[in-house]
Amino acid sequence: MVDSQIIISNLLKSYSSRAEELTVLRGVSFEVARGEVICLLGTSGSGKTTTLNLLAGIDKPTAGKIYYDGKDINEWTTDQLFEYRLKDIGFIFQEFYLLEHLNALENVMVPIILKGESEEIAQDIALQLLNQVDLGRKALNLPQELSSGEKQRVCVARAIANNPSVLIADEPTGTLDSKTGDDIMSLLLRLAKKNKMAMIYTTHDPYFTKMASRIIVLQKGVIVEHDPKDFADIGYDKSKFEFLFKGENNE
Amino acid sequence: MNELDDYIGTEKKQTFFEKLLAGFSFNLRLIWKNISNRKKSMMIITIGLVFSLSILFTSSIWTQTSQLIIADDYIETLDYEMYVSTYLTNAMDSVYAYTVGDYLVQQVDWYYPTVALFNFEDKGPYYRWYPEDQQENASNPVSLTSAHLISSRAIDRIKLNLEIDGNASLNSGEILMSYTQAKQLEAIYNKTISPGDKINVAITRRIPNTDIGEHQMRFYDINETIFTNYTITGIYKYVGYNTAIAKLLGGLENTGGMLLDSIFFPLEDLSGIDRFIIDSNGLLPRLLVKTNAQQLRINGISQMPDTLHALSERIKIRFFHAYCYILSQEIQTMANEYTRTFSSTALFTPAIVATIFLTILASQMTVKKRKEEIAFLRSKGAVSSQIIAIFFGEFILVSTLSLILSIGTGILMAALIPSLGHEGFFSKSLFTRYFEYLTISPYDIEIYSVLVLGIYLGMTLINVVSFVRKDIHESMIITVRGQRLLGMWIKLAAFALTLAGFIFLIVDYTRVARSSYSFGPGSIGASSNALLAFIAVLFFLSYFVSLGINYVLRAIKKIYKFVFRQNSFLIYKNIKRQTKSLQDLTFFLILIICLLTTFVTIRSTTIHNNTIEDAYRRGSDVRIQSLVAVNITEFEEKLGGIEGIDEIMGFQSIEAIVGSINVDVFGVDPSKFLSIGRWTDNSFADIDPESALTTLEETSSSIIISDYIVDRLEFTIGENMTVTDFRGGPFTKQFNVSAMIKSAPGLGISHGYDPKMNRENYEWVLLKEDILINELGVHNGTLFLATAEEGADLNLIKEEIEALYPLMTVNPQQINPDYIGYFIVKYIPHVSITLLMGAIVLNVIGVVYILISTDFILGQRRRENAVILALGGNQGKIRKMLVGEIAVFLISTLLIGIPLGFLSSLLALTFLKPLLIPHEVITLTMHIDFGLLAIMIVTLCVAALLGAIPIIRKQMKYEIVQELRAIV
Repeated sequence: MVDSQIIISNLLKSYSSRAEELTVLRGVSFEVARGEVICLLGTSGSGKTTTLNLLAGIDKPTAGKIYYDGKDINEWTTDQLFEYRLKDIGFIFQEFYLLEHLNALENVMVPIILKGESEEIAQDIALQLLNQVDLGRKALNLPQELSSGEKQRVCVARAIANNPSVLIADEPTGTLDSKTGDDIMSLLLRLAKKNKMAMIYTTHDPYFTKMASRIIVLQKGVIVEHDPKDFADIGYDKSKFEFLFKGENNE
Repeated sequence: MNELDDYIGTEKKQTFFEKLLAGFSFNLRLIWKNISNRKKSMMIITIGLVFSLSILFTSSIWTQTSQLIIADDYIETLDYEMYVSTYLTNAMDSVYAYTVGDYLVQQVDWYYPTVALFNFEDKGPYYRWYPEDQQENASNPVSLTSAHLISSRAIDRIKLNLEIDGNASLNSGEILMSYTQAKQLEAIYNKTISPGDKINVAITRRIPNTDIGEHQMRFYDINETIFTNYTITGIYKYVGYNTAIAKLLGGLENTGGMLLDSIFFPLEDLSGIDRFIIDSNGLLPRLLVKTNAQQLRINGISQMPDTLHALSERIKIRFFHAYCYILSQEIQTMANEYTRTFSSTALFTPAIVATIFLTILASQMTVKKRKEEIAFLRSKGAVSSQIIAIFFGEFILVSTLSLILSIGTGILMAALIPSLGHEGFFSKSLFTRYFEYLTISPYDIEIYSVLVLGIYLGMTLINVVSFVRKDIHESMIITVRGQRLLGMWIKLAAFALTLAGFIFLIVDYTRVARSSYSFGPGSIGASSNALLAFIAVLFFLSYFVSLGINYVLRAIKKIYKFVFRQNSFLIYKNIKRQTKSLQDLTFFLILIICLLTTFVTIRSTTIHNNTIEDAYRRGSDVRIQSLVAVNITEFEEKLGGIEGIDEIMGFQSIEAIVGSINVDVFGVDPSKFLSIGRWTDNSFADIDPESALTTLEETSSSIIISDYIVDRLEFTIGENMTVTDFRGGPFTKQFNVSAMIKSAPGLGISHGYDPKMNRENYEWVLLKEDILINELGVHNGTLFLATAEEGADLNLIKEEIEALYPLMTVNPQQINPDYIGYFIVKYIPHVSITLLMGAIVLNVIGVVYILISTDFILGQRRRENAVILALGGNQGKIRKMLVGEIAVFLISTLLIGIPLGFLSSLLALTFLKPLLIPHEVITLTMHIDFGLLAIMIVTLCVAALLGAIPIIRKQMKYEIVQELRAIV
């Protein structure tokens, strides 16, 4: 409990429309330790994205608490939430959400500039980050000139631009083929480890659960118990994720 | 299968109209849902359409209705439009019978001229009367005066020429007496003569012929026509000008003539025999004809003179001996003034065009907003015609609503504009009169509706079709690119040709408009046409300038950095991407600001010019006009002695003929005129006033004459010319043309009808006063100009002169109070009001467009803003960036639009003169009202920014997740 960076307690989220009220989360609780990699697994509509949105402070729960470093983010002011999203959270969207009129470099510069850095500094940092995600050569390309995998790399660079302590990725491989998906996951996990970031990602594909240090299965808005052995036989290119498991055997 | 599937599932072999009918009920519900779900955008379009249509309808209803009121009111101000006479006096009854029965005629009144005698009672038949001032009993003389015998009801019309102290009635036992006659009787009776006094009067049945020695009382034949104890109901002064009575009795230069010293007597008090005897006196009786206003203006104001001529012809063809005098020149002047004043409403055209343009842009934005909906309908299998049918249905509903609202607004505005425009406050009587006369032209309503709604429908459907067909085009992308390249050159060539065409038209029309300094219907028409071409050129110009601005805006990154600091990155990127909406915004703002500046500048130029021109027309510090001709030398001395008067000069005047043109001849002291008059460099054609007047002073037989007459008669400076018919007689004299004049202070333009000046002849000439006094024996005149001593109170001078000389007017507010232009502007606001209204409309359009654009652009950027917020962006920061962006566009377009507006004003003033002023008496020079311009611009900016902030706030009040989810 002491080491938990994030504590989610009994989260409830409902959306009401004219016709009906839709409850997406029905009392979700879990904790995230610093540097931990958590995979939220579930089918479409199970509440994975909603959980991430609540966690990132871009949505508000109907009930329940989210503690970040021991503070309830629901009690924060709008400005504190902006600050939280800007500095503490790095978000990777399934649909990328790159700004179409900005090139890759400028897209990465946005959060750095929002943080208050000058344009020149932001440009240097962004270029370094693009090099880290192996996209330096396409820094001046517009989003429509990039492949899906490249767009996701730009998203990754943008997410880590302000060196957040928590990296949140919503279906980062959702629109990618398996090889590119592998590459992106490899990149994410490497960066998370390197920067000592906690990482929470969602997937509906059990294939991508193995690289997580913990798997949380969501079903119809509640966490369901599972046997870790259920995912043991799913094969993937272990060599790509070796860095993740270094020392695992020792442990 | 839902409703939509039913509608779009089975339409494959149906025609457009079959589909329309088949899906009628579904269409109606869908259209209604679309409209109710898009309340805001539909409201904007409806407002835009109502705005455009209302302006056009207002203009049409206003014209139609004003025309009737102006015609009726003007005709009402005329005593009669015609008088008829015949030398066969015994045929007068037949002429009367025919005239009174004509459909155009409302009333015919008899008029008999004779003379009346006062203080005749104790004089015998052999009392020697002639001449009046040397009669037999000089201490108790008979007073003789002109007697106008008219029917009692005629006084109701004739009184329009008179300023009456007392009552304006002429019932049996009553007479009306002139101020001069009353003064004479006061001297004779040695008592005050006032309205209500009783008096004996004799109406003479004969007028003695003094040439054959008829110098005694008996020759007047008054025994049967002595009327005792008649009541003086009123004492009048003559004030008429453009009236039938003025033409009949007003005398030369409208000095009052036979009305100055006269009485009006009720004709009904004379018997038939009396009238018969008076008939045979040699002074012809007249029939005064009042027409029916509704009949006279039935074919429009411009046809009124012709309608009146037709009446004259009908009389003359039946009675060859009849003579008809018509007030055709006055009515024609009124028609011309109306045409000019009304044509000035053409200045409103830019505002109308801008409004239509605004509606088109709004419609484009709405269709763009709905491209997803179009894509969705297509994905469900809807074909083009079905999608178009939905938009068409919406158009029908919105158009019907707009049309109804516009007609209502048009009617209301047509009544409100003159009610508010006249003298700056609301006039309830003008407002209600508009409804009494309300005339709506179905033809105009139809044309304007088809024009505005057609453009709107056309543009909407073009946009819809372009979205509907997008996929097909994309599949042919290479061909399309090729076509685009080809299309671009064709477009450029078409642009260049059209622009060149419009510029050619402007140059050509400007040439016509500038060919004279007196502007008639020809130059007014040329000016209106040049204006339309100029608006088109401004559109082109604004478009090209906006391209330049957009280029510059992309190149000034450092300035953004300097001004916006941390926010500059995203502001610059947004401006740099140059979306179509931003390009449209720049273009439209430049156009609006340019037009706004032009309107304000032309307005201030016109007002400034009017002020200077009025001062020029007044001539000097003090202008003294006498109702009666007075001895100029004598009154120069008398008036010059009044405290506060510095230098004074009078104009001796007489009529004469040059060639076949009637001219007013003014005698002046050239050196005095030079120092007293407010001369300008534009007063003379090719010479400065000092040289021209010095030559006149130094040369004994010099004449200064208008450049028009010099050209017309092919004279040259230094050549001799003859002036004939001085004093209306055969007196002829030769002069040497020393200068060509265009106008003079106090006298107005030298050639042409100057309606603001009180003179009849189209031409005047200047001579040295010595020639008039010594060679022609002319001592009298009616006009004086004087300078006031420094610090003198002009009001005190005015009061003193008017108290000392009741028949003199000092610095009259209007030199010619009958100037029809003053009358017309009561109903058609002065051009400055039109321009001010135009500027306000443009201001509103500018603000509305900025708000629509902000709403649209923010709508387009919702996703981006949601992403920025998700990344940690601050709402306040985003708001600041958006306001900053609007400010960039406003400032940059202001920086270019205002100078462009000044340039446009400068150019427009070269061809707009005929629409702004009747004559270029002084050179129309651009004058900028920086105060009003600043108010307009600041209002535009503040209203735009204040209006944009709530839109930005509202647009930003969304949940990030909802926005992101909606995008997915």
